[in-house]
Amino acid sequence: MKSEQLLDEIRDANLSYLILAQHLIRQDKAEALYRLGISEEVADVLEGLSTGQILKIAAGNMLMCRFRFDDATVWNLLRNHTRERGVAGAHAAILMAQALPEAA
Amino acid sequence: MRLSSVVDDAAEVRRASSLIELGARLQVLESETRLSRERLLKLYKEIQGKSPPKGMLPFSTDWFVTWMPNIHASLFMAIYNTMIKSSALDDIEAIVKSYRLYLEQCKANDLGIELSITRAWRLVRFIDTGMLKMTACTKCSGRFIVRDHDLTRHYVCGLCHMPSRAGHTKDPATRLAH
Repeated sequence: MKSEQLLDEIRDANLSYLILAQHLIRQDKAEALYRLGISEEVADVLEGLSTGQILKIAAGNMLMCRFRFDDATVWNLLRNHTRERGVAGAHAAILMAQALPEAA
Repeated sequence: MRLSSVVDDAAEVRRASSLIELGARLQVLESETRLSRERLLKLYKEIQGKSPPKGMLPFSTDWFVTWMPNIHASLFMAIYNTMIKSSALDDIEAIVKSYRLYLEQCKANDLGIELSITRAWRLVRFIDTGMLKMTACTKCSGRFIVRDHDLTRHYVCGLCHMPSRAGHTKDPATRLAH
C-alpha cells in the first residue's frame, strides 16, 4: 500500500520533470543545457520524446532526476545563514555553473 | 553596409534589439552587428526612448578585480564558459544568453546588478586577448578572474577570504556602473 503510494509520487515527479525539461529545451536549447545540466545529446533525445514515451518513462520505479551537485561546499553555501546570504548564493552559483557537463 | 538578404537583415535587427534592451552601449552594437550607425541610433531611440549615452567605454581591467565586481564578473564568466562549451553559439549570442541568466542569478540572490552588458562584453574581449584570465581558488576550486600578471599559485578567492570591509559599501543601486 505504502510503496504503491511512493511509486505514484515518483511517477508524478518524473512526469513534471520530463515535461518541464522538454519545455525548456524546446524554448531555448542553449539555456536549457545550463538550467538542466545535461549534455546536448541527451537534450536532443528528450526534445523528441512523444507524450506516450514520456508517460512510459515516468512510470518506472526510479527517479529520472537526480541531485546535480556532489560537492559539499556548494550545499554548505546554499544553506548558509551566517554570512551575507546574497554573497554566499553568488559563490554557490559560481561553483554550480562550473560543474555543468562539458560537451563531449 | 548594405545587407543583401532580408532574412539576414532581420536577424541583425533582432540581435541589435536584444542588446539594446539589455542596455548595451552603441559601441557594442557597432562592433557586433552589421547595421549602419544611423539605423542603430534609430533602433536605440525606438527601444530605449532616448539617445544613447556618449563618451568612451570603460576600458580598465582594474574594475574586474575589485571585490564585488570580481564576484559578479566571475559569475558571468562561469555561465558564459558553460554556454560556449555546451552549445554551438556565436560569441555575442552566448554573451546575451549568459547575461540574461546572470541577471536571474542576481535577482534570486537579492544582489544588485553590478555588471552591465557593456562590461560583460568587454570582459569577454579582455579574456580573449589575455589581459584578464581565470584561475582556480585553492580553497573552493571556483574559477575567478585575475589580471594576466597576477600571481596565482596560492590564489584564494575573495569569497573564501573576505576582506574585512567587504560588502559594507553604499547601496548597490548607487554603485551601478556603466
